[in-house]
Amino acid sequence: MYAYVVRRTGFLVVTLFFVTVIAFVVTNILPGNVALLILGPNASPASMHALQTQLGLNRPLPVQYLDWVDHLLHGDMGTSLRFDEPVATLIAQKLPRSLLLAVSATLVAVCLSVPLGIYSAVKQNQAPDVAASLFAFVGISVPIFLWGLLGILVFSVWLGWLPTGGYVPPSKDPVGTLTHLVLPAGAMGFALTAYIMRMTRSSMLEVLGTEYVKLARAKGMPRRVVVLRHALRNAIIPVVTVIAFQFSYAFGGVVVLESVFHWPGIGQLTLIAVQSRDIPLIQGCIIVVALIYMLSNLAADLLYAYFDPRIRYGGAA
Amino acid sequence: MATAAETVGRYLPLTARRERFSRFADQFRANTKAKIGFAIVLALVVVAVLAPVIAPYSISKTDISHRTEAPSVQHLFGTDSLGRDVFSRVVMGSRISLYVGFGAISGALLVGTVIGLLAGYLGGMTDELLMRLMDAAMAFPPVLLALTLMVVLGPELNNVVLALAFVYTPYIARVARSAALAERNESYVEAAVARGESNRRIVLAEVLPNCAAPLLVQGSLNVSFAILSEASLSFLGLGAQPPTPSWGLMINTGAGFMETAPWMIIFPGLAIGLTVIGFNMLGDGLRDVLDPKVDTVEA
Repeated sequence: MYAYVVRRTGFLVVTLFFVTVIAFVVTNILPGNVALLILGPNASPASMHALQTQLGLNRPLPVQYLDWVDHLLHGDMGTSLRFDEPVATLIAQKLPRSLLLAVSATLVAVCLSVPLGIYSAVKQNQAPDVAASLFAFVGISVPIFLWGLLGILVFSVWLGWLPTGGYVPPSKDPVGTLTHLVLPAGAMGFALTAYIMRMTRSSMLEVLGTEYVKLARAKGMPRRVVVLRHALRNAIIPVVTVIAFQFSYAFGGVVVLESVFHWPGIGQLTLIAVQSRDIPLIQGCIIVVALIYMLSNLAADLLYAYFDPRIRYGGAA
Repeated sequence: MATAAETVGRYLPLTARRERFSRFADQFRANTKAKIGFAIVLALVVVAVLAPVIAPYSISKTDISHRTEAPSVQHLFGTDSLGRDVFSRVVMGSRISLYVGFGAISGALLVGTVIGLLAGYLGGMTDELLMRLMDAAMAFPPVLLALTLMVVLGPELNNVVLALAFVYTPYIARVARSAALAERNESYVEAAVARGESNRRIVLAEVLPNCAAPLLVQGSLNVSFAILSEASLSFLGLGAQPPTPSWGLMINTGAGFMETAPWMIIFPGLAIGLTVIGFNMLGDGLRDVLDPKVDTVEA
């Protein structure tokens, strides 16, 4: 297991290196450079040149890259052109809100999909099973932003139960935070349901077919107890890894979700950065989002390996 | 001289392949999911091809006096905020979605297959380098990567195809690689090596046809993800630009008129859902029928 963890984490470092290269290259071939963005289109060539020298923009790209990575490693992501604030400060302020959103969405998905998956497995190939998989299929087939908009339409516009969007900090009004969270987390959670449900169902089916479950039933234990106490405990293992993967998916989707609900998290920050071509902010956002996405995938992989000795000892990743 | 090895290498597989295909066709017909998926996709293609005939109104002609009208006999899906017929726009929009879905995934299949086959067949350093690069591309959430690329390329429909082809290439490459790895040690490859065939010929003529099944499944599943991604990008304003009748873009515009004209988002939304369900069912059905190992990927 130890060797696997080291190997897999090593991969992460290598991948992270490539990620920084991609982020740097992509943002540096952007039409229009930073100096132009700061000074505006009417700047004189002399002042452009002066600023470029000041910012070190006329150095060779590899040198700029190394310098940039050096700053990154010291926690310095530069200054946002649009907000005139350190990128790190902006991200630190917005990131927790996005994490709150992604965690809540995953929770919603788990609460929906695990019971549904169990029920589907118990009623295999019967009407409730078919209905549940249809429900999940529809969930993944419709874009998240549409679920969000439909949620707003029904629960905010028609019924008037929930706010249409926005964010209230929990320190100010925890109930307000919750009511603002319901719709976005629900929309994303619904979209995540399918995979977790599918996994729960097939894992449960496998366990329900084992000898010890049959024995427990043969001994006259009530079905309910066997399913929930004996089978579920063993079936839940692969489900946990899928949940970790789904969290990373939820986090990857915050850009779209936050734009629908005006949730001021890192997704919306990324979008603002992109729209205003704020290069340092774009770089900072994509690296932080990619890092968290990678870390949650790493966690999922490690959990998977922890539960599946074949991977742990086989050494193959 | 026609050796036994050549017979095995050339003639037998041909009949075997034909047999395999008829078995495939039988299984496909027996699989409900595959059939429904195929029917939906086929219907969509027909609608897209005949779109100008089906659409009763011009998609760009605005008519302010008839804006945000509720669905009626004249306007089945109602009219939008500029008085355009939503039904006509949804019908024409099928062309955009299919163009992006098929276009992006064809590109990804082309590049991803080459990368994956090279990595899997050659192994060693080539494999390591190529696959670490693919890992890096997959370390970004797909929509975020597409979004970043769109900033560089500029918001335009053809650039969406390009960006999404790039985003989905690693997923194809992974599948192609593992398929090639599995085939590399098969006896028919050894036979080809023994015949003295070049690496290029072996990869293209022997290994590739045998990797087709997993690639087909991954490809058809990825079409649905590409269509979803296009909708997301256009919704964010970074994909197709007005007045293109992209479903995502229509929903973007409709979001502002949700209270008065919910049909502006509901019908394009239904169209996206139906399309994605079609490709997902087709992919799922193909997977059941062909039973290859496929990576799961997110939209």
